[in-house]
Amino acid sequence: MRLLVRFFRQEVRNSNVLFSLGLYLLGVSYLIYLLSGSTPSNSAWNTLLWVVVFFGSLQLSSRSFEFESGPHFYYFQTIANAKHTIIAKMLFNVVYMMFLSMATWGVFSVFFGNPVYNTVLFFIGLILGATGFSVVLTLTSGIAHRTKGNSMLGAILAIPLLFPVLQITSAINLQAIVGVTLTDAANLLGTLVALDMGIGLLAYLLFPYLWQD
Amino acid sequence: MKGSIYKVLGLLLVAYSLIYGLLTKVPDLPIIEESIRNLFYHVSMWFAMVAMMAASFWNAIRFLGTEDLAKDRRSISLAEMGMFFSFMGLFTGMVWAKFTWGAWWTNDPKLNGTAITILIYLAYFVLRNSMDDARKKARISAVYNIFAFVMMIVFIGILPRMTDSLHPGNGGNPGFNSYDLDNGLRMVFYPAVIGWILVGTWIASLRYRLKALQE
Repeated sequence: MRLLVRFFRQEVRNSNVLFSLGLYLLGVSYLIYLLSGSTPSNSAWNTLLWVVVFFGSLQLSSRSFEFESGPHFYYFQTIANAKHTIIAKMLFNVVYMMFLSMATWGVFSVFFGNPVYNTVLFFIGLILGATGFSVVLTLTSGIAHRTKGNSMLGAILAIPLLFPVLQITSAINLQAIVGVTLTDAANLLGTLVALDMGIGLLAYLLFPYLWQD
Repeated sequence: MKGSIYKVLGLLLVAYSLIYGLLTKVPDLPIIEESIRNLFYHVSMWFAMVAMMAASFWNAIRFLGTEDLAKDRRSISLAEMGMFFSFMGLFTGMVWAKFTWGAWWTNDPKLNGTAITILIYLAYFVLRNSMDDARKKARISAVYNIFAFVMMIVFIGILPRMTDSLHPGNGGNPGFNSYDLDNGLRMVFYPAVIGWILVGTWIASLRYRLKALQE
């Protein structure tokens, strides 16, 4: 818990990162607006939303362990063990990515209108999707930072692993747009919850092996 | 001498399935016609691939438990072999898809699953090449291997069953069991699967020994 507070404080101190992410969001949305006009079809709207969130979260996660794996790696190991680190980092990223996807939804509503019919279902889909994203991205960015290699590596590792989460989430959100009820989408929601929990547990178990020297 | 039994058996089974697969009588089916024989070559590749990847996954787990570098060498050799099978499965599948569905590539859950699998394991090889220290490389790539294998199983094993597919047995298409009344196909298919797995294990073990000598 103290770690979580610490991560947030660190983020507030580095507020330029937050601003650059917001600027990316606005810039890309406006780019799409310029190219496609204001009336994309429902499925195009959903696709574009997820593409923007996808690259935003890749960018976000690429600096996930920037502080901890740099020159401060050994210092950080003395103040927190691996299991606490991964849990705090995952929670931090979950909150951050929920914020990112909500903001994207908001910006898209301004530019392209809001075609969502079942708002509750869409909201749940977005939250579960953000959770799955942050779990996968936290682990892969941990791997990428441990290699001290290029920044592309994180994206290369994460992109194929994100597809299952992305596919279910975008299916849920498409259903929310056309107005499927919550009970009808329960099957997909259940799958996504199970997937999120499964990969979360796996990341928790594997991270200690990563976080040692 | 004992160690070579499975190699001989594997070669015999593969040779049997390759030759007898072309000679055996097959059910006469619309659209698929004689290309049903590709069942022996195409589907057995996927079985062999999953077996190789599962063995690689198992060795990755054992490496994390024991820190024994030999396990890591086994893991990478098996993953390389699995990669070979996945490309072979892809090519045989593309030929078959062109014949029966009319296109080299379709937006089908199983094809997407294949594409993802190939991307995942290519990323795994890239990850391995980006580190020098053997122990650290082994540990980090084992972590990725375990995580990636689970995601791959989710993607190729669970998700396709929730959506429609052009493949038999999905989305209202009948599975092969209903085509095959006399079990004639199975008599070639199962030996082909076992044969390819044995030959794959053999080649992976050769690569494993080569790696051990190089280090």
